[in-house]
Amino acid sequence: MEKLYTFLKYTFITLWTVFIVAPFLWAVSTSFKDFQSVNSKVTYIPWLDFEPTLEGWRVLVKSPARGGVDIVEPYFNSIFVTCTASLVSIVLGTLAAYALSRFTFKAGFVRNNDITFFFISQRIMPPIVLSIPFFIFLSTIGLLDSLLGLVVVYIVLLMPIAVWIMVDFFNRVPKELDETALIDGCNPYQAFYKVVLPNSIPGLIVAGMFCIIFGWIDFFFAFILTFTEVQLLPVKVVALNSSITPWWSLSASALISVAPLIIVAFVVERYLSKGNLSGALK
Amino acid sequence: MNLIGENITYKPDDQFHLNDVSFNFKKGNLYTILGRTLSGKTTFLKTIAGLLNPDSGNLSFEEKDFSKIPVWERNVAMVYQQFINYPHLNVYENIIFPLKQRKLSQDQIKTDVEEALKTVGLIGFENRKIQELSGGQQQRVALARSLAKKAKILLLDEPLVNLDYKLREQLREEFKKIFSEGMSQETILIYSTTDPQEVMELNGEVIVLDEGKVLQKGPAKEIFENPLNLKVAEISNDPPMNILKGLKNSDDLNFENISIKSPKHFKNLENQNYNFGIRASEIKLDDNGEEFEIELAEISGSETLLHLKKGNSKLIALIEEVMNFKIHQKVKINFNSNKFYAFNQSGELVSSPYGINNG
Amino acid sequence: MNFKHKFVFLFPGLFVLIGILIFPIIFTIRLSLSGWNSYTPEMNFIGITNYIRLFTDDPRFWESFFRLSFLSVTTVILQYVIGFALALMVWREIKFKRFFRVIFLIPMMTTPVIMTVIWRTFFHESLGPVNDLLGNIGVKPILWLSDPVIAKFTVIIVEVWQWTPFMFLLLLAGLLSLPKEPFLAAAIDGASPFRKFVYVTFPLMAPISIGAIIIRLIEASKIMDTVFVLTSGGPGTATETSSFYIYIKGLREFQMGYAATLSFTYLVIMIISLTIIAKVLTKLMIKE
Repeated sequence: MEKLYTFLKYTFITLWTVFIVAPFLWAVSTSFKDFQSVNSKVTYIPWLDFEPTLEGWRVLVKSPARGGVDIVEPYFNSIFVTCTASLVSIVLGTLAAYALSRFTFKAGFVRNNDITFFFISQRIMPPIVLSIPFFIFLSTIGLLDSLLGLVVVYIVLLMPIAVWIMVDFFNRVPKELDETALIDGCNPYQAFYKVVLPNSIPGLIVAGMFCIIFGWIDFFFAFILTFTEVQLLPVKVVALNSSITPWWSLSASALISVAPLIIVAFVVERYLSKGNLSGALK
Repeated sequence: MNLIGENITYKPDDQFHLNDVSFNFKKGNLYTILGRTLSGKTTFLKTIAGLLNPDSGNLSFEEKDFSKIPVWERNVAMVYQQFINYPHLNVYENIIFPLKQRKLSQDQIKTDVEEALKTVGLIGFENRKIQELSGGQQQRVALARSLAKKAKILLLDEPLVNLDYKLREQLREEFKKIFSEGMSQETILIYSTTDPQEVMELNGEVIVLDEGKVLQKGPAKEIFENPLNLKVAEISNDPPMNILKGLKNSDDLNFENISIKSPKHFKNLENQNYNFGIRASEIKLDDNGEEFEIELAEISGSETLLHLKKGNSKLIALIEEVMNFKIHQKVKINFNSNKFYAFNQSGELVSSPYGINNG
Repeated sequence: MNFKHKFVFLFPGLFVLIGILIFPIIFTIRLSLSGWNSYTPEMNFIGITNYIRLFTDDPRFWESFFRLSFLSVTTVILQYVIGFALALMVWREIKFKRFFRVIFLIPMMTTPVIMTVIWRTFFHESLGPVNDLLGNIGVKPILWLSDPVIAKFTVIIVEVWQWTPFMFLLLLAGLLSLPKEPFLAAAIDGASPFRKFVYVTFPLMAPISIGAIIIRLIEASKIMDTVFVLTSGGPGTATETSSFYIYIKGLREFQMGYAATLSFTYLVIMIISLTIIAKVLTKLMIKE
């Protein structure tokens, strides 16, 4: 019985791993193909089934003028927008989360939980609902097709995440710690940044990771709100999709865009094992 | 230069956490707040610290209205029951934290910290991380931090309750020493506990709290000798005082088919029904005494607590030896009738062995 | 604790959020009361005409809504079951534990749109590996993207691939933070793994499960990227979710006013249903 269970366990895990890895393997293989290898029949292994070329990869760094598809600039644009919006979201979100965790708010029938719910409920809005108004909003203040405009919009997307994670985390830090800081002569601001904050690093890291992830993967807002001046990575890749379907450069660019977050995966796993994450994520 | 509270009430939800509490604390004195869990002790301390604001009543210190002074400007220090120290700092940094806040000079800081470490016996621990310390050591660090501040009001909220028995006894001894020698005459010490024995050992002025109300105030000896009502008798004794409903007539006390000669100090009491109280320690094994059945025998240290039953009466007797008792075994006991208390039907003390004889 | 300082903590975030949001929301409401479309691209006022149309003459929207419910509930249930199973398997000691934990996280770390582009080539009916491999074992080509029923499942497959790690992460973190005592007790009582799960693990994980399911439902209800790239809502309207339908009405047919109506109605419905679901799940779990 024990053996059957173990067998099933490893089978399940292996199948799932294959499922996870499958599209990547396909993309890697496709990225080295050319027109013939793709359109005649299905091919898999380089050198065995087809002749690999680097064309798919080279195209990515050639500028459009020479027939290439430059993804270097969109790459850095994505990094900039994601990191800036994440930073602002975490700063403002953590402050708000601290207030919601420690202090009592009463305004008519609105209580702490209602305010927290308000923050978190921003995630319910599908991008489409906000994108048309944001389109008009940004064009009115001249921020359409700009990095700053996107940052502003991303803050709405990411602050709820920061608030969600940090409220939960702060609820787990004993209030007595804050109280001791106050008694020792700190006003509430000092109690926060001298005592609570240094002990909240795990929570901040988790919040940071989620913000970066959800910011990096956005497609729709970047799609609607930028055109030529500013392009973000996901948009660029999808744009390739709708033209002549050069599967090879498509696959290559796809692989490059997911690379950074793979690094994040390693970081997440390390913290998970250390037990720090478990405290922050309930 | 007193800490004065007048009619302080705090009722954040349906129940009174503090109900019309008044007090006048003088500097250089130790005050013990005795009460069971949830009786309002922590609320009381937090109100003095400024972490909670009472709904009504006045709180003043050195003739200044405390309600106008926020927590961080009050000259208080507090030790919690849950070993609270700053986890991200080592021992030394923990203790200098409040001193740095006050922007004292480096030399002054150094002296104060060393003095505090010496008092709690942790010289040499300066660079240790908090997580490396045992419970007792952590609590000592918390105390050292409070002492180093040289605050005028030192609050301790059941500081020993999370330590094991031996450590508790040891630290209690050290506390007593620190409180009498190590503290300046300027400080008001307020110590809360649920343990009557601790209250007696610390021997300060006692305030008995229950459900937010002050039931009795007075020196420890007074609380012991003359608990003003049944509730105080219950709270200030461990094991709780035995209460037996009975009838007094001219010569004896009658309860549960037992008749005992009425003690001298009951002379002036009217012959009627009372709640008689007798401490567990005043019940002895006596072959010529009344027969009771053992419901439970607890061995505690070098004593045995016998839970006894006869008819509808239940008693707890504290026997000063360790003996092998079996459940349902029958023993004969006798009461030290000189130590009987009498409480009237409303629960108030009407006669005690130590002097109160309100007939 | 109640200090005046609390406002300084809360208000910057709150005001920035409200500040950025207030225009879009008010604008959407105003837009929904207008007849802005490609013929009359102006903000006129037509009262609740759009709303009447929505509730009496637009079955397509309501179909999209039911489709969305089906897709999101199915994917969340699958993600929960698979995610929990995976978390349980890599929770305790197992060969290559760290390796598997990282691998299981990877899909969540990818950009959905981009991966969907790859999936599109993957499921390509004539040139994609899936049908090719299936063909090698004698299965006729499956119309992954052009059959209305199958297309739904293709979307589900992609969503499950993409987001199960999210559930996996939350549940694993939860498992790692459980106290050891109940499990020691169960071991002493000689409980089998099955009993251990049903009577110890699952109940202890109840609050975390609810949180994870609700968060995931909120995210799943916005399914857009997958549909947009994989099927464009097709074939026909087989995979058209509410978001996609709004997109079509607003940015393809330029019926902005009506799209705003759809948006606002959708928002209200979602907030109400998600709140109800959250409350119901919480009560259910507490009863257990």
